[in-house]
Amino acid sequence: MKRFLLATAATFAFVSGLLAAPRAKVRVALIVESTVDDKGWCQAMHDAIKVTQKKYGNALVEYSYSEKMKPVDAGSAARQYASKGFEIIICHGAQYKNLVLEMAEEFPKTSFAFGTSADIGPKNVFTYMPESEQTGYLNGIIAGLVTKANVIGNVGPVDGGDSARYNRGFYLGVKSVNPKADIKLAYTGSFGDFVKAAELAHTDIKAGADVLTGASQQATGALRAVAEYRDKNIWWVGQDTSQLAMSESFKVIAAASYDYTAIVEAIIAKREAKVLGGENLPLNFANGGFTYKFNEKVGPVLTPAVRKAVGAAEKDMKAGKLPIAWKEVKF
Amino acid sequence: MNSGGMIYNILSLGVPFSVALLVAALGENFNQRAGIFNLGCEGIMSMGAFLGFLPAFFIKTGPLAAHVNLLGFVFAMAAGALLGLLFALVTVTFRASQGIAGIGLQMFGWGIAGTLSRHFVGGVTGVEGVPAWAIPGLAKIPFLGGVLFNHNPVVYIAFLMVPTSWYLLFRTPWGLKVRAVGTYPRAADTMGINVNRVRYQALMLGGAMAGFAGAYLSLCQAKMFADDIVAGRGFIAVALVYFGRWNPVGILGGALLFSLAQTLQLSIQVGGIKFPYEFAVMLPYVLVIVVLAFTRKARMRGPTELGKPYNREMRV
Repeated sequence: MKRFLLATAATFAFVSGLLAAPRAKVRVALIVESTVDDKGWCQAMHDAIKVTQKKYGNALVEYSYSEKMKPVDAGSAARQYASKGFEIIICHGAQYKNLVLEMAEEFPKTSFAFGTSADIGPKNVFTYMPESEQTGYLNGIIAGLVTKANVIGNVGPVDGGDSARYNRGFYLGVKSVNPKADIKLAYTGSFGDFVKAAELAHTDIKAGADVLTGASQQATGALRAVAEYRDKNIWWVGQDTSQLAMSESFKVIAAASYDYTAIVEAIIAKREAKVLGGENLPLNFANGGFTYKFNEKVGPVLTPAVRKAVGAAEKDMKAGKLPIAWKEVKF
Repeated sequence: MNSGGMIYNILSLGVPFSVALLVAALGENFNQRAGIFNLGCEGIMSMGAFLGFLPAFFIKTGPLAAHVNLLGFVFAMAAGALLGLLFALVTVTFRASQGIAGIGLQMFGWGIAGTLSRHFVGGVTGVEGVPAWAIPGLAKIPFLGGVLFNHNPVVYIAFLMVPTSWYLLFRTPWGLKVRAVGTYPRAADTMGINVNRVRYQALMLGGAMAGFAGAYLSLCQAKMFADDIVAGRGFIAVALVYFGRWNPVGILGGALLFSLAQTLQLSIQVGGIKFPYEFAVMLPYVLVIVVLAFTRKARMRGPTELGKPYNREMRV
């Protein structure tokens, strides 16, 4: 209970920090390993910065980004941004950790950020951690209620970071409504191998799964595989709302997505308050870090019971009444 | 699921999943048989995947709409042949280092495909792709029908490429020339064979096949395009040529073994068998490395002049 109250207090403190708009121009740079239109991980952060830029105005927020940056290449880009005077450099991925720690020493007046990570970094490094067990839990409720075969597939990238939290939250969500369901969790070993994700989805479906999910950008490949079973009752619950706008959306019952706006605004506000880093910023329903949408086009599969169960859980999460013990799930 | 069902699933999924590797490796085999080592296969596959996808993405109505997939394969093969021609210019005419030129071609193909995709497509998106076509009669054979005869038509074409490639290499005068310029180009030159021309032809054919393999990924397997869709399969195809000892039948065995190992490891995970997933994911790659280690002694069966530029003016 004490931990829960502390988390709630931290969330309120975090949200209250969002109110402060920058007084002077702030320059923000983003470094990503994929592209800013990947309908997944990288696009979510890019969109958040664009939203913040629109909110505060181009005069106050200057934004630049570098794509397809492997960790070995990203150092050069980050150094150039820091040398040019960019105040905030976001390296969007845990793979950039070493680079960020090295750069933070070299440029002590620049704020760096990377995630997902629960680390508390040096005084000019922010980390951020989506509490993805929450979105996983909601998707799990849907999967548990919708499955007829009682077999559910989960196309995982690797067992780490926010994907690990998502998968465990998903497991708990399924079990909360359907304890007998068999959840087939498997990993491709990659975040971006769309073809292998599709292969895994086909393997799940052949093994009897009738509801699938998956995190990271490769999930689009798995969704595409599900869409091949056009006339069969095989469904998808997604971890990115951009999937609701894709041609495969007729298979997507609902999707969650990260809204990093809260993180970006918090970093700007904290910098204004002379806090350059040294904090871990959470992303959850309570601070507006997640959005969750049903797909009204899927028809009768989206029953009132599903809506009610998901709605209640989401409401409880927002109120901080539904702690999810994801760490206790051992696969 | 019982073990019989699991084996059926592994085989019926492994066969179509092997096609991109198989076709790219068969193409690379022509390159290597002619003495040229093309590490750029990955880049050509990326371009093939993109150009194969493009007609299906753009043409939704009109008379061409029914033929978008065919058009995609034609575009992919044409682009592959052109990139093969470019690689031939660099490595055969200019005699550049084949390894470095190959890596350059890989980066070029991957980069151009990604850039053009950004410009013309905008983001990750899917297409209808090539549907499955069960061969009448054969598809109903118990067990074997589902494993071999219930796939998209490109799978059947790809498997027919194995005997065709074998025949071309080992039973035609052109195949003899290809093997000659890869094994003893000076002797071939003395016999009146234009070494450079044969190498150009082999590289263009290999490039076209790599383009075809890329289009298979975007039109038949993933039915979508993303920058990293090839994800290292071009390099695996190069390794499979060694694995198959420069013989199309051996390459078929390698492609199937890799693909079935891939499907096996996915099925092990999905089946809930307790096994660290990190090891499961490694399994196909470890298998290729182990087999490659054992194929060293068969090195002499391969083209002895592989990787060496030919200069008729140079004294031996």
